[in-house]
Amino acid sequence: MSETYLVEPDVGFIKEVGKLGGQDLKKCFQCATCSVACPISPDNKPFPRKEMIAASWGLKDRLIGNADIWLCHNCGDCSTLCPRGAKPADVLSAIRAYAVTEYATPRALGKMVNDPSKLPILLAIPVAIFLVVGLILKMFGVNWLNFAPTGDELWQADYISNYLVDIIMVPTFFAAIGVFALGLKRFLADIHANALLEGKTTQKKIEPVGFVQALIKTVPTIMKHGRFTECGENKERATAHMMVLFGFIGLFIVTGAFFAAEWVFHIEGPYSQINPFKWLGNLGGIALIIGGILMIAKRMGQKDQVTSYKDWYLIGLVLLLGGTGLLTEMLRLGGMYGLMALVYVLHLIFVWALFAYTPFSKLAHLVYRTVAMTYAEYAGRK
Amino acid sequence: MTSENKAPASGSIVVVGGGISGLTTAIEAAEVGYEVYLLEKNPYLGGRVAQLNQYFPKLCPPTCGLEINFRRIKDNPRIKVFTQAQVEKVEGTPGSYNVAVRLNPRYVNERCTCCGECAKACGTEISNEFNFGMDTHKGAHLPFEMAFPPRFVLSQQIIGTDDAQKAKAACKYDAIDLEMQPKTMNLQAGAIVWATGWEPYDAGRIDNLGFGQYDNIITNMMMERLASPNGPTQGKIVRPSDQKAPQNIGFVQCAGSRDENHLPYCSYICCMASLKQATYLRERYPDANIYIFYIDLRTPGQRYETFYKKIKEDKKVFFIKGKVAEVIEDPATKNITVVAENAVTGEKIKQTVDLVVLATGMQPTAANTKLPADLKYNPDGFILNDYEKGGMFAAGCAHKPADVVSSNQNATGMALKAIQTLARK
Repeated sequence: MSETYLVEPDVGFIKEVGKLGGQDLKKCFQCATCSVACPISPDNKPFPRKEMIAASWGLKDRLIGNADIWLCHNCGDCSTLCPRGAKPADVLSAIRAYAVTEYATPRALGKMVNDPSKLPILLAIPVAIFLVVGLILKMFGVNWLNFAPTGDELWQADYISNYLVDIIMVPTFFAAIGVFALGLKRFLADIHANALLEGKTTQKKIEPVGFVQALIKTVPTIMKHGRFTECGENKERATAHMMVLFGFIGLFIVTGAFFAAEWVFHIEGPYSQINPFKWLGNLGGIALIIGGILMIAKRMGQKDQVTSYKDWYLIGLVLLLGGTGLLTEMLRLGGMYGLMALVYVLHLIFVWALFAYTPFSKLAHLVYRTVAMTYAEYAGRK
Repeated sequence: MTSENKAPASGSIVVVGGGISGLTTAIEAAEVGYEVYLLEKNPYLGGRVAQLNQYFPKLCPPTCGLEINFRRIKDNPRIKVFTQAQVEKVEGTPGSYNVAVRLNPRYVNERCTCCGECAKACGTEISNEFNFGMDTHKGAHLPFEMAFPPRFVLSQQIIGTDDAQKAKAACKYDAIDLEMQPKTMNLQAGAIVWATGWEPYDAGRIDNLGFGQYDNIITNMMMERLASPNGPTQGKIVRPSDQKAPQNIGFVQCAGSRDENHLPYCSYICCMASLKQATYLRERYPDANIYIFYIDLRTPGQRYETFYKKIKEDKKVFFIKGKVAEVIEDPATKNITVVAENAVTGEKIKQTVDLVVLATGMQPTAANTKLPADLKYNPDGFILNDYEKGGMFAAGCAHKPADVVSSNQNATGMALKAIQTLARK
């Protein structure tokens, strides 16, 4: 060895990875079965064997800025063949959760999102925001929050005006984008530096044009779930993930359309059930629920996979978003307005949580994995 | 031995298993004056060692070691050997056991001269398990040339067929007795030593290593038979698919060993076995390249370490730190590409070879067939020795994975433990 390297283990990092689902990390004896078992690992510096030893040694800096942890799609082929039950798939998943909190500012919020005891506080925040903003506006005569509306046919906006919802949700959404943007700036610099250090890239620096071209190439792979279907163990998982992803995309389109209807065209809801956007919304909600249930079933049936809080948080959010959304609609159609309002409040809490906490939760993978896959494409990592 | 020095033999010892450990226990106990019954389920003694081409690290043929032991048995009237014998029931307590033994018929009596006429008369070919099914033998056969007792045996499956009659007719010495029936006998013994040995782990269960799917993937024990002068190829190491000499050979260490999905423990001998087998190949094929894929090379002790260092000097033997986790066969050439990550360089290696040897480990016989006695086992099926209770002891690989040297040392120790049980009675 011509190069000397002083190992500075970050014991706190090792412990944290254990808490996030990587508790079997230390069983690894570096046989490298995992790197071969992985169907999507490249030939040059394959993962996850090198990540396993880096994590064992607490080399945090080599991991959180390592794009390879995001190339992993957590199919579990490596954990199935692992002779030690060290569960590399879960270790990578835990490292990803750690990386998410590292790149999202404020870091304290990331820690809270990963801590089940802080969940009530996190959910109380949107309640407080709605109450405070609603009541302040009331003082100025803007009646966007109504605790007991009257009328024969009510809908949720009679209780909580869509304008109130929008003036809270829209800034939250853009704040989340802002958090992502800040994180991504560091993330991109880090993964490039790491790739240069480990000899994983042919590119000297990141050229925006080339990177965007790589992104254009990567998006269809993501949409088609190309990487998922390469996996051996859990091929069916692609279906569940596809339902949830497309469910979210559909609902995002619907939300945008109704936002435009409200603010630009001033067409007030509730919209007709035969409105195609309504169809898309209903389909999206159903897709979330079925996809979420499939994910739970899959995780329950999987013996060599750890499911920790970060995973339940996301699946729970998916199910609750779809469930409260559809239930609000059903209660409205059934004329049970009081109950509808209550469920709608819950729905708004979850929607706000979705927007606000995405950069801090497992859902952040939608950004980091996309960028990491794009970088791999750009860097010619095969 | 004078009568004053004779040990106070008050009871006999039953040794179950006639492999190297059982032989050692039986002979050591008998040579200090104890009565020993040696029970072996096969028609011959010698067990797994009889299947080897050479011992490591001295690279001498195992038959010479076995021969000395056979000689000692022949010379010692205190050892009663029963082949084709299976223990059916053990009752009693330390110092006084009643052992029920089933003796399966050999159909050949002591008049056999090993002339081989009976085998010539037989037509049916039977898969030769001694050679792991790589060739066949006749319904009447001698397990191998050095078999002890030196006597032919008739396979159960030809009994009642024409072949059996033809074999009997061909025998000039009236050595074939088709009327032999299974017998049961009861032995009284003060102590029992279980030397039930091991079986090669079933490589077909390691899905990702292709054994049983691809012709040119063999196990290390098959390699021993291929290299043996008395093996299916008379010592020529050739690929099963086309009987051609291999140019590139890959060894896959820890095939099904140190693996929770298979055998969670290290079998102790496979690293040395592969290094030894590398010498078989390099001796026969001076241009051959050997690729040894390993997790850790375990060559315990100074002698084994020296052996490893010597092999490492060979420029045609390549050591790659990384376990093979995938094999691909080229259907045209039947060559095998093994895939591993070289953990030192961090590169994935796809090495195409002509022949792959899986270094499979040893599984205790008791893991697959529970023994009919009150014994304790560890989760892997190795017998745990309860010295407090005494009376019954496990020796050799029935107790833990071991090489021949350690097995013999352990077997000698267990002979002493058995003797102590008798002496304390």
